[in-house]
Amino acid sequence: MVSAITIATNVLMLGALYSLVAIGFTLIFGVGGVLNLSHGAIITVGAYSAYAVDAATGSIVLGAIAAAVISGAFSLALYKGLISKVRHNPVTVLILTLVVAIVVEQLALVVFGGEELLVPQLLGGSISVLGDSIQANRILVFVLSWVLIGGLFYFVDRTRTGKAILATSMSDKGAALAGIDSEQVYTYTWVLAGALAGLAGLFLASFQTANPLMGRNPLLLSFAIVVLGGLGSIRGSVIGAYLISFLDQMTITFLSERLAGVSALVVLVLVLLVRPKGLFGRELVEE
Amino acid sequence: MSGQTQSDLKSWGDILNPVEMQRHQQVGLLGIVALFVLPLVIPAIYAIYLSSALFFATFVMSWDFVSGYTGEISFGHGLFFGVGGYTSGMLNLHMGIDPWIAAPIGAVAAGIAGLLIGFPSLRVQGPYFSLITLVTPIILISVFRFFPDLTGGELGLVSVGTVEKFSAIGPIPSPGFDPYSGYYLALFVFLLALVIFVAITRSDAGMVLTAIRADEISVAATGKNPAKFKLFAFVLSGLVGGLAGAMYGHSVGGFNVSELLALIISIEVIVAAILGGIGTITGAAIGGLFFYLLRVFMRNIEFTIPVVNVPVGEIYFLLFGIVTLGFLFYLPEGIVPRLVGEWRARSEPQAGEAVADGGKSRGERIVEEWTDDLRELFGGERR
Amino acid sequence: MGTALAGCLGGGNGNGNGGGGGVPDTITIGALGPADSPMGDSILKSAELAVNEINENGGIAGADVEVSTKDTKDQPGTTRSVYQELTTGENVDATVGIFGSEQLLSIMGNIAQQSTVHLTAGAATPEAPALVEEDYETNKYWFRVGPINSVFLGESQVQFAADRFEQMGWEKIAFLAEDYKWTEPITNNIKSQLEEEVGVEVTEVRRVAEGTEDFTPVYDQLEADEVDGAYTALAHTGTTALVQWAQQQRPFGFGGIHVPTQLPSFYEATQGAAISTFSQTTATANSEVTEKTVPYANAYQEEYDSLPVYTGYSAYDAVYMIKEAIEATESVDSDDLVSELEGMSYTGTGGNIEFFGPDGRFPHDVRYGADYSQGVYFQWQADESGEGHQRVLWPDDLQEVDYQSPPWA
Repeated sequence: MVSAITIATNVLMLGALYSLVAIGFTLIFGVGGVLNLSHGAIITVGAYSAYAVDAATGSIVLGAIAAAVISGAFSLALYKGLISKVRHNPVTVLILTLVVAIVVEQLALVVFGGEELLVPQLLGGSISVLGDSIQANRILVFVLSWVLIGGLFYFVDRTRTGKAILATSMSDKGAALAGIDSEQVYTYTWVLAGALAGLAGLFLASFQTANPLMGRNPLLLSFAIVVLGGLGSIRGSVIGAYLISFLDQMTITFLSERLAGVSALVVLVLVLLVRPKGLFGRELVEE
Repeated sequence: MSGQTQSDLKSWGDILNPVEMQRHQQVGLLGIVALFVLPLVIPAIYAIYLSSALFFATFVMSWDFVSGYTGEISFGHGLFFGVGGYTSGMLNLHMGIDPWIAAPIGAVAAGIAGLLIGFPSLRVQGPYFSLITLVTPIILISVFRFFPDLTGGELGLVSVGTVEKFSAIGPIPSPGFDPYSGYYLALFVFLLALVIFVAITRSDAGMVLTAIRADEISVAATGKNPAKFKLFAFVLSGLVGGLAGAMYGHSVGGFNVSELLALIISIEVIVAAILGGIGTITGAAIGGLFFYLLRVFMRNIEFTIPVVNVPVGEIYFLLFGIVTLGFLFYLPEGIVPRLVGEWRARSEPQAGEAVADGGKSRGERIVEEWTDDLRELFGGERR
Repeated sequence: MGTALAGCLGGGNGNGNGGGGGVPDTITIGALGPADSPMGDSILKSAELAVNEINENGGIAGADVEVSTKDTKDQPGTTRSVYQELTTGENVDATVGIFGSEQLLSIMGNIAQQSTVHLTAGAATPEAPALVEEDYETNKYWFRVGPINSVFLGESQVQFAADRFEQMGWEKIAFLAEDYKWTEPITNNIKSQLEEEVGVEVTEVRRVAEGTEDFTPVYDQLEADEVDGAYTALAHTGTTALVQWAQQQRPFGFGGIHVPTQLPSFYEATQGAAISTFSQTTATANSEVTEKTVPYANAYQEEYDSLPVYTGYSAYDAVYMIKEAIEATESVDSDDLVSELEGMSYTGTGGNIEFFGPDGRFPHDVRYGADYSQGVYFQWQADESGEGHQRVLWPDDLQEVDYQSPPWA
């Protein structure tokens, strides 16, 4: 039997990691009403950026910076170049972002090949907790993820720009009345979401491997997370991420590894059937 | 359609419907005739390409019938192809049922899948519904992988029975693998779908479906039950998509996830429909053929891109994705509506005054919504 | 329509190699493989290499040889499409390659319909010879040059265990197979065979799901059971499994059949994580499986500046076998070639290649054994400068080194 400690560390770490991805996904939806299906591709961008920079410089810290910067820039370009122009048509956005995701996957395949690539751990070695050894890298990923989540809470609650993002996500028009430049808020949100997803990509790759399709699963999990936690809610995303990561680990441990990831999707469908606007969801901005 | 066929065009139009038939309809008829005759003049390999293209176009039509008309965008239409195909394939492989019987049963199974997917669409709106359709095939793939003994796991269903006789025309050796008879099987499925969909969408039912897309509440106010119409659209779409999936597998001799159920298939279907123009059926048919053949064409380009020194054929799928993005921007209204629109504009200068025949104007209205969205993108720059 | 179609009746079969005998001025061989992956790349390049060599040495029975390479994208639909381009479109005289089992099975029907000889390199599924057995006349155009099929892979793993586990200190192991069809013939009996024939304790036979990204729980279990080694049958999920094992410095050995680690570039690509992992493979670049092995690997390296992957050895041999068959029968007729290939004994780069006959255990599949093809087991070991090398552990006559435990164990 796999020890409870192992399951607990996995749930804690993966929950934090999924939160990073889902928060970006949900923020973009919250402020702009955009379901960004290329959000998973940004994970891939982050992981491969880190891989390439690490391979060139030998420094995974530089790789991490690259993961954040390049992914943020990519996300910005995506928003400015494509999405901002079609933002108000949800279906067009879905299709375009899906095609963008496929182009990114293909690009990674062509440039780096289809093989799994190794991205170095941020921290080697392992630590013993209650008789079970846990890799230091996982603990670091967990800590860093929470630092980022905490920073985000601070940003949204305390800073001017953060408050503007929150206000816009609550009510587009209200924010506009309060003198908030919504276009600027969208831009900030996309860059932020991109950088977070890029870092999540590096974290994922640091204890798994990088491959062109690596962003798909986190994206699907993000759907389930934000539908559970309520679209547009940061706190809800963190709670949703932990619920989903717990559920997934339970399924893998007690049912079958073949069902990894599926439970989240089934939950997603069920929740939508019972509560078509999500469990704690709110009305779609555009309807 | 090239210029030299223009002279034949009038005579065909005269015979069939001299007064009312419009030019684009005449061209369409000519196209169908050409599809019958083509295999007699093209090399076998092109017949093979075309038969796959015909199946793909049928997939696209089945998507357009539900998503293009009711506005409930399905992101997982591969579900229907997969359910139809795998049901038929498993019946044939495990129970020895003849493909000619198994395929319709597969179609019915896909129709039931359509009913199951259709129900949520009554409650769940817009992008949320799209999410459901997006993940359903992914769940099904996992279920398939869970029972490898039944579904063949990652290898798919292989060595299933092929359609041995194409009795409508006469005994032909193994149509599934013979390029020409395989082609006519594909053409048969394609035309069947085309006739059914065109007939329904050009009837009153089609009007109701389109009206649902525009304003569901008003439709309910006229005493028609929108839910019933929507479910009908889903079931029929499933039936036809399932039949096409089943026939495709039996004609190539195998069923696998990556050709029927994979996410990429569902996306390709949507993209092809948009290229052809959604909400028109004929546009979807042409978009499907065009999309498939474009991909084959790009795969076979023997040109090495300078600087990066990579042959086009090796990275065609990447280029293809980029070209697709380009098309979505520069020709957002689709190929067919664009051509039809230009012909219209030339022949009747004050177009847009009255609603012409029901068929195209409905499609154009839907397309306009899209065009407005996408055109903004290049707003000032458009020439 | 009826009359129009009449012209096509019966025209569908026998595309390509009509003629019934004699050798044309130009012989064309088609090669298939996923160009994006090293396995496919090696197939396409090795076929090219073989054809170039043959042309330099006077061609096949005096005829020039051309090779037409096609990228399968590792997708069944694309594979079928490009196979039809080769046969229906280009009328090639034979095809080689493929790589994936899914892709191979998707064209078995087409191979039969085209009646064009196909020599597989890469796929290990035993379902292909089963089809030949089921309907010999239809499917007889299929042969496999390598690797040995997955039933034999299982037998080979038992044999390796019997010959080496004691010396390796592996008394207690867990078997780790990915949950794909190809590993089923291996995992069906492996536990009882290893326990009864080799006498090791097998704590569990674990089939890990497709797309498993986190092997930590698996390794925790293995570590808790205090196994000496994880004996593997991994391909698709292999890299992730190996990298996590190395990063987590698990205190047990790792290897068996592991497809990614067979890549000559794998040690460098994983920055040394592959250290001490071992795998069965067709041949390594410096192992003299036959006298042809090393010259081929050198020629390949000279031409393409990299070493061939296991699929390359088989593809290279396949092209030469087609040459031999055409020269022996002085014909490109498929039925003539089939009977010639059935009786052929060819010493290639991967061993002494012979096929099972129509009534054999696996009709038209490559025979396995010390006298035929049996492959080698190698281990990644580092030299003083830290560079990794694939060193042969088994069989005895090719053995270069003894097994070494992972540096941290």
